[in-house]
Amino acid sequence: MASDVHSKGVTWDTSNGNLTPVEHLPNSRSESPTPGLVEGTEPGAGQERAMFVHTQSFEDLTADVELTGSRLSEIEEVEEEKEEEQQQGGGGGTGETGGGAEGVEEPKQEVHAVVREKEEDHVFVLSEAGKPIYTRYGSEEALSTTMGVMMALVSFVEANKNVILSIHADGLRVVFLRKSPLVLVCVSRTGQSDSELWRELHYVYYQILSLLTLPQLQRVFQQRQSYDLRRLLSGSERVTAGLLRLLETDAGLMLNATMSLPLCGTTRNIVCTSLQAASSKNLVFSILLAGDRLVALIRKKEQHLHHTDLHLLSNLAASSSSFRQGEGWTPVCLPKFNASGFFHAHISYFEPASDLCLILVSTDREDFFNLSDCKQRFLERLKKRNAYQTLKEALHSPTYPVSQVGIPELWHFIYKSKSSGLYTSPELPVPYHTEEEQERLMDLYQYLHSRLHHLTRPLRSIYRCTNTENLLAWSTSGFELYLCFSPLATKALAMSAVTKLLKWIRKEEDRLFILNSLTY
Amino acid sequence: MMSYPVAPPVLLCGVSKTKSQTILFNLLIEHQPTEDKFCFFHPERPTMTAMRVDAKVVMLGKESVGKTSLVERYVHHRFLVGPYQNTIGAAFVAKSINVGNKVITLGIWDTAGSERYEAMSRIYYRGARAAIVCYDLTDNSSFQRARFWVKELQTFEEHCKIYLCGTKNDLVEGDRSARQVDYHDVQDFVEEIGAQHFETSSKTGNNVDALFLKVAEDFSNSAFEFLPEEKGVNLDQKKNSYIYTCCHH
Repeated sequence: MASDVHSKGVTWDTSNGNLTPVEHLPNSRSESPTPGLVEGTEPGAGQERAMFVHTQSFEDLTADVELTGSRLSEIEEVEEEKEEEQQQGGGGGTGETGGGAEGVEEPKQEVHAVVREKEEDHVFVLSEAGKPIYTRYGSEEALSTTMGVMMALVSFVEANKNVILSIHADGLRVVFLRKSPLVLVCVSRTGQSDSELWRELHYVYYQILSLLTLPQLQRVFQQRQSYDLRRLLSGSERVTAGLLRLLETDAGLMLNATMSLPLCGTTRNIVCTSLQAASSKNLVFSILLAGDRLVALIRKKEQHLHHTDLHLLSNLAASSSSFRQGEGWTPVCLPKFNASGFFHAHISYFEPASDLCLILVSTDREDFFNLSDCKQRFLERLKKRNAYQTLKEALHSPTYPVSQVGIPELWHFIYKSKSSGLYTSPELPVPYHTEEEQERLMDLYQYLHSRLHHLTRPLRSIYRCTNTENLLAWSTSGFELYLCFSPLATKALAMSAVTKLLKWIRKEEDRLFILNSLTY
Repeated sequence: MMSYPVAPPVLLCGVSKTKSQTILFNLLIEHQPTEDKFCFFHPERPTMTAMRVDAKVVMLGKESVGKTSLVERYVHHRFLVGPYQNTIGAAFVAKSINVGNKVITLGIWDTAGSERYEAMSRIYYRGARAAIVCYDLTDNSSFQRARFWVKELQTFEEHCKIYLCGTKNDLVEGDRSARQVDYHDVQDFVEEIGAQHFETSSKTGNNVDALFLKVAEDFSNSAFEFLPEEKGVNLDQKKNSYIYTCCHH
């Protein structure tokens, strides 16, 4: 469970105190009953220090788990009442809009947007004044009455010194996240747990912070409560949409981990050391990505990147084609690292059509040409050592077939090494070639994940049989493993597969993981 | 193209450490998560790499007027059809252009139009020799926004030449009623502020090369004029001119 996930020997306190906020540093760590699988010795574990901040699943939620646990019963009662009220409120809202002179088309859109056919989560962001800020579907204007009702629900419960967490009704979950000065709401039919939905909302919240920083966000609303935040967020719709898409398809966001690009050890070494050499005074992180996969990450001494921040950065780089045409230079806040300030990111693709993207994060807003120079030096060094071509070739096979492992009936797996914060996963085999099937598998993994990391009743392992596949999930202090077998597999086979798979990953860890965490 | 020596770092430090620069800098800094607030290298420092910039050109204007498309047309000679994509922050691209018998490298900063970046837009236009302020010929509000940028430039960058550019000319050529910004109104405004005026279409490429050629020509003609009166006024420009002259003698 969450509390297992702490590192050995990682320095949390940074000499440079103003860079990293200190409050959410974990300090407890539990003993593992299986010594061979203790964190730090599992396959894929980093050899020296971890490059990422160690994270827990649902770490944002675990902080107030006690609070929610004790209040749960109380809140549920309140929720029952709310449901009815919401239905009434929603109906009333529709009527109002329909009566308006301008909103002839709007009511339909509103109803359609709230009660959607599509099996995707609907996400709303509103201000404390009930003003719409973001909606995943439909337009904010058309949904302003709905959002008004949402805000009414939140403040009604708050008036009784309580917090509304979620509403469960008729296969529908409405989950609320209160992050002053914002309120985030997710409406889901997919049967995901509340924790999964909170995680999504947290990501949307961090996305907004990464564009504005927390002080700016607070200041704007302090000055004027009814401020229309859409003005400041305009142009970020694609970024947020991309992020929500990733949340549904990318296991890394679920696991709080990053997948690295499979690359032979020597090439990775050259890439890492070349990137390390191309440093500059104010550089904090150098990140080389191949699509959504990490190729190399170099960081300033004592500074650790958080997965959330990395996912936000890689989503940002992927969501505008302008980075492919020139060199991008943009202020960006890494909310998990420090929500109160901007870093400045130099984002560029190596070739317009290539997936290789270099992100250089600096503290100095005037650093553009220095970083541009760093990129050139890195590229020259790579070419001189003949690694550029190898790297480009590795991009052609960014993944591997599961057959390489040699376990019969095994269709797919996800293995996360907790101490390195990296995970590996083979390509999706035949049954999962359509997008719907991929999402279905992802939903299954999410279900297993939320069972393993249940806030009050966590599990160590879970085996689940369905008509279409058999699944096994196992969490130790060292790793998390999710296996997907054909329906013909048995539990005994699945158990023996784990050992075999771990051995295989150990053998291949050089290629599948980034074992050295380099600093400048 | 001639190869230029890289200016010694001593000179560069001297340039940006002066008082005026520092004051400007402190004004700009709000949430820097670092104690290191001074820039020791000039932002337009010519690097050892292929890129060496003579003139900084900045694209300004309301979002979705077509700044990126304009740069895309000029630099890559293409017009991308597809869903609109916002620029994030700013994108930099360098492009060389022949003016007479000289080669001028324009460093073009394509900025994002979103209001979010307004507070930091100054880092993008500081020291710019030319600003291409774009507005959409079919959107009157974008012209109001262009007026804002002109005022901003006149206040903070008095040496920056302004080029007003009406975009999406192809839309108004096909349908006169689509035009929301009158040509003569803009012409009057342009004469009043002493700027240049272009109407372009990135889709057809109409007038795009002419616009950037004019920018480069004006820079080339003014590069020498600037030198004597530049002392201590705008250090960005002084340094460029210095390298420029010493290499051409």
